[in-house]
Amino acid sequence: MGNLIKAEMRKIITTKSWWALLIPAFFASLLFALGWGAFTNEVGEVLSSTETQTITGALGIETGELPMGLLAIGHGINVGLLFAVILGVLAVAGEYGKKTITTTFLTAPNRAMALGAKMLTYSGWGALYGLVVSAAASLGIAFVVDGDRMPSSGQWLAVIGTSLLAGMLATLFGIGVGALWKSVAGSVVTITIYMLLIENVWVFVSFGLWQENVAWMGGVLPNGTLNGIVGAIGAEAFGAAGVKIPGLEAETAWGLQYIAGAPGAFSWWASALIFFGWTMLFFGSGWAVNQKRDIT
Amino acid sequence: MHDGSGRIAVQNLTKHFGIVPAVQNLSFTVEPGSVTGFLGPNGAGKTTTLRMLLGLVTPTSGAATINGRPYAQLGNPARVVGAVLENEGFHSGRTARNHLRAYAAAIGVPDQRVDELLGLVGLTPAADRPAGSYSLGMRQRLSLATALLGDPQVLVLDEPSNGLDPEGIAWLRGFLQSFAKQGRTVLVSSHLLSEVEQMIDQVVIVSAGMTRYYGPLEQLRGAQRSRVLVQPADANALVTALQEAGVGEVQPAHDGRVAVTNATVQQIGDVAANAGVAVYGMEEEKADLEQLFFQLTSPQYVGGSLPPGQPPQQPPQPPHQPPGPPPGFPPGPPAGQPQNPYQAPGYQQPGQQGWGGGQ
Repeated sequence: MGNLIKAEMRKIITTKSWWALLIPAFFASLLFALGWGAFTNEVGEVLSSTETQTITGALGIETGELPMGLLAIGHGINVGLLFAVILGVLAVAGEYGKKTITTTFLTAPNRAMALGAKMLTYSGWGALYGLVVSAAASLGIAFVVDGDRMPSSGQWLAVIGTSLLAGMLATLFGIGVGALWKSVAGSVVTITIYMLLIENVWVFVSFGLWQENVAWMGGVLPNGTLNGIVGAIGAEAFGAAGVKIPGLEAETAWGLQYIAGAPGAFSWWASALIFFGWTMLFFGSGWAVNQKRDIT
Repeated sequence: MHDGSGRIAVQNLTKHFGIVPAVQNLSFTVEPGSVTGFLGPNGAGKTTTLRMLLGLVTPTSGAATINGRPYAQLGNPARVVGAVLENEGFHSGRTARNHLRAYAAAIGVPDQRVDELLGLVGLTPAADRPAGSYSLGMRQRLSLATALLGDPQVLVLDEPSNGLDPEGIAWLRGFLQSFAKQGRTVLVSSHLLSEVEQMIDQVVIVSAGMTRYYGPLEQLRGAQRSRVLVQPADANALVTALQEAGVGEVQPAHDGRVAVTNATVQQIGDVAANAGVAVYGMEEEKADLEQLFFQLTSPQYVGGSLPPGQPPQQPPQPPHQPPGPPPGFPPGPPAGQPQNPYQAPGYQQPGQQGWGGGQ
């Protein structure tokens, strides 16, 4: 297995994809963190007094100290993680596209080991992506969010930690989709449209139609759970996820989750577990299909 | 693990893609120490067979083994088998050296092996260029280098001469022969016999997914026949005379000429003279291997109107089932007794040289 991991590492670093995706990931995270940071910083000013007091009272902090930056950092990281998903797609679907999958399978003891080596190698790359996008998002909010609204160091470490985890899972998710579909263009376009548009619109519209009855929606779908891993850290800091603050209206809680980039998220670990389920669903199916697929 | 014999065994191998039969009940073995040609027209199932052998395609039924084991059970398979496949993929942005280094790592051979092989296939000057800029011939060399990384005992090549210039083909021929002389196994597919004729010792001929012949190339050569085309004044009289004299075998002729096999020009001339039939000309046709090959594989092109397994120019024995388990498989004269030599379209061109090669 060590040999195959070394081979996968060499394959990755001898093409441009890893940095050609990492650079836009960095800037997308930075820009989103800047934009959302500026927005949430304003929200901090305008949160209605009763709601703010409900939250700050329950959390035992002053109104001005609400960590608004946490709400923005999740958004920045989430958009960057899309690139980690795309990197994952390239792992197997890219090899089908270039037909190098033939040699990859021929030089591995069996297909299970070839895919296992990819899984391990790309997990590491996913973590790297998670680290870079969390750094970019941190930089973003540092520019625009007031100092006393920045996350505490504990919260910040939690964000980085969950970002690493989310990056790994996002990459594995991409590997699974690519292994299943084996089309880079098809997988990337579909995933991008789904994650940026379809699921967001659906979660938003369904909440508009059925309110808190479907608040869980974003907490179980793939994009929502991936975003929820990091986003819920922000939402939890506001008592909008994980803990229940008495008197906080469901719609306000959902709104805060939405701003944090994790509408419907139950908690960061629940999001991680559910997204892990999605990852395993796709990775497992991709794995199973590849055990038998004819390479012609 | 595997038995280290270097033997390739294909047993009753069948593959259907959906309802399309690509390979039907194919059986043959390839022994170490020789270069075996795997021949058949395009679409005969060669590539599918090789890919089944390499574990890339799952057979519908039957088995293909190397060293007594399916590919997936060879352990570190690239140390046992090297494969040069058609359409072998390279990442267009990755250099040849990096391509080889990635797979050298996968196989577990030192990076120094990469430089050796780049030198062997003559790619050292181009080693740091992206494979996307390579010509077809250079890609073939890179494929070969990849196949040889693990210093394999068995080499499988699918149409390796594609894109190679004559010099490259000559080099490959020499290389494969010396590779086989070391007691290793080479299986090389081609749709052109002439391309591989000079490098192979054994031959497996397939057509329409079925084995038509397998055995030593020499045996196939020995089965060559010639025929004489006679232009008599009275064809019927000549045929009668030949039959009475018991000379040769007469075939239908379509242009007023009489085709006689198993007889020399002298014998026919004597018979004609004795019968008082004027002969205006005689033309002796030598069948070469390419024509035999065409005969063996031509059913593919008339397959629609003929039941498979009953091709017009088959040897009398069941054509798709080689007799007995290898190596006891002398299939007899494969080109014998053409029943209907005009079935294949290429035969109908009057005055054409050769038996059939016309397309």
